[in-house]
Amino acid sequence: MSETLGRKVKISVDGRIIEAEEGAILLQVLLKNGFEIPYYCYHEALGPDGNCRMCMVEIEGKKRPQISCDTFVEEGLVIHTNTENIRKVRREILELQLINHPVDCPICDQAGECSLQDYYMEYGLYHGSVEKGKKLHFNKHLDLGRNVMLDQERCVLCQRCTRFTTNITQTNELGIVWRADHSCVSTLPGRKLENGYAMNLVDLCPVGALTSKDFRFQQRVWFLTPTPSVCHGCAKGCNIFVDHARLKYHDDTIYRFRPRKNPDINGYFICDDGRLSYKALQTGRLEKALFEGREIGFDEAVRELKKSVECTTGRIVILADANLYTEELEMIQIFANRIGAWLYAPLESYIDEKFADEWLRNAMRAANAKGVEKLGIATTMPEIKRDTLLINFNHPVADSLDVRRRIDFLTHAEGPETGSRADLTLPIAVWSEASGTLINIDGLEQRCEQVIYPSDPVPTVIRWLEAYELGERCIV
Amino acid sequence: MTNRIKTVPRYGTAAKERLYLPAIFEGLKITAKHLFVNVGDINSVETLEYPEEQPTDITPRYRGLHRLTHREDGSIRCVACFMCATACPAQCIHIVATERTDGIDEKMPAHFSIDTLECIFCGYCVEACPCDAIRMDTGIFSVTGKNREDFVLQKEQLLAHKSAFGEDTSRA
Repeated sequence: MSETLGRKVKISVDGRIIEAEEGAILLQVLLKNGFEIPYYCYHEALGPDGNCRMCMVEIEGKKRPQISCDTFVEEGLVIHTNTENIRKVRREILELQLINHPVDCPICDQAGECSLQDYYMEYGLYHGSVEKGKKLHFNKHLDLGRNVMLDQERCVLCQRCTRFTTNITQTNELGIVWRADHSCVSTLPGRKLENGYAMNLVDLCPVGALTSKDFRFQQRVWFLTPTPSVCHGCAKGCNIFVDHARLKYHDDTIYRFRPRKNPDINGYFICDDGRLSYKALQTGRLEKALFEGREIGFDEAVRELKKSVECTTGRIVILADANLYTEELEMIQIFANRIGAWLYAPLESYIDEKFADEWLRNAMRAANAKGVEKLGIATTMPEIKRDTLLINFNHPVADSLDVRRRIDFLTHAEGPETGSRADLTLPIAVWSEASGTLINIDGLEQRCEQVIYPSDPVPTVIRWLEAYELGERCIV
Repeated sequence: MTNRIKTVPRYGTAAKERLYLPAIFEGLKITAKHLFVNVGDINSVETLEYPEEQPTDITPRYRGLHRLTHREDGSIRCVACFMCATACPAQCIHIVATERTDGIDEKMPAHFSIDTLECIFCGYCVEACPCDAIRMDTGIFSVTGKNREDFVLQKEQLLAHKSAFGEDTSRA
């Protein structure tokens, strides 16, 4: 890892000369150079442990095959990764790993992204010599709390999970109990997982031992398309994969969020609240434009908006949500200038000190708070008079303001910011249905592409305001 | 890929084969023979007066309508692994999985439906099933209904279907 970096040396791998830094972990160097080495216990964030024995390579001059995660690069190493002997060694180790494995892939959520399956297809393909009836049985559904389910039978004892709770979260909930064949991962009696990052264990587990209770049996992973995006849970801007699928007779649906590696922001992990925030994107959404309580078409809604804005003699105040993309905020800014309105995006209502911690969770719960500041939008509370017209772009404080006339652009129909008090309520797309740029709390700009293309889309903020400006039909 | 390419020797280089016409007359001879036999005796034509007459030649390998099999204790065998739905080229199998709480297994289908209007009866679902939970050995070859929904067979209907050839054989 980074602290052991030394001078550049040359090593030979399968006849190819590659350059690596002296003292670097051999497995890491091999993986980076595209060699296929099987492994369970090694993980970039957790470092090597040397217990799974899968990453064996042959090193010339050494008597036996060596594990590459505990070998360090030195000048002139000659390594073979794919000899007949190495394949035999890997196959035999795999057979040991699978001695007590229940082989219940049909009911296992990991199937399709499981290292055991992949390596069996690559190196195994033997007939097991342990009869199914003689396999040891452990607890198959143990609820570890915090949405994590443990199946002790499927475990290969790589200890990634225990090292995560020991070294990364430092909460020490998990350990290996009993000895030899009877070893299994467990919590202390009567105790459960108690940290806000526990669901990362599901991603860390290379097999189906730890699965997510939230995703359990929801969908098979081979139907899912991962699209890279950025979590909108707080201003940290953790990188994620949005796993979604559009199945026959169904709309494009998000099934889960997974962390995406970004060493500058979140490393390899995300918090559980961010991971579960996908649910809010597809429940309780506002889908139709409402005018005085009745549903109207999008074209009519634009006309009503124009009428309301043009007939106003008093002040117009615009509130903009600090979760909107920078491009959308810019568009609102242009719109505000055009109609002579005062634009505000109060930020203090987003601050949630209880949510924050020293790692990934930030007290600022607005994803684009820095974007608001960069555009120079006022972040104070607006001054409201009796004849003020409020145009609210999904801002949570709108309901606490005492205004007579109000136009709402909302993502969700229910919740505290319900549009019942507004004369005109227009639906807008959530972040997964739009694309744009976010600036996180450290000032890093990140582009998010559109993830979800619904069958019945609602217009984005940009589309509404374009239709307003150009007098076009509001076609989504 | 290269080791899968098989070079097939070219046949038909003799003069008789290169002329083509002798082979055509050979074929016409067979057609004419059948024509004269059938015109001479109309009863020798192999037709079935369906539906009054039902076919009698349905073998255990015939791919009829699907059924979901049972375990020894009578409960559903399917564990909702989605292998059939994945293998299905017509994408006509729709499954919603759920937790199984009776202690027999962990997972089972909450909904399992086959749209027989979309189904092409290829039998890939039967081949893909790791649990022998779906079979096409009912011998049923016609489905009738009054609207589209009647042709979407639900879990209960599929479980109610019986094998036409005994429980222990799965040849279809």
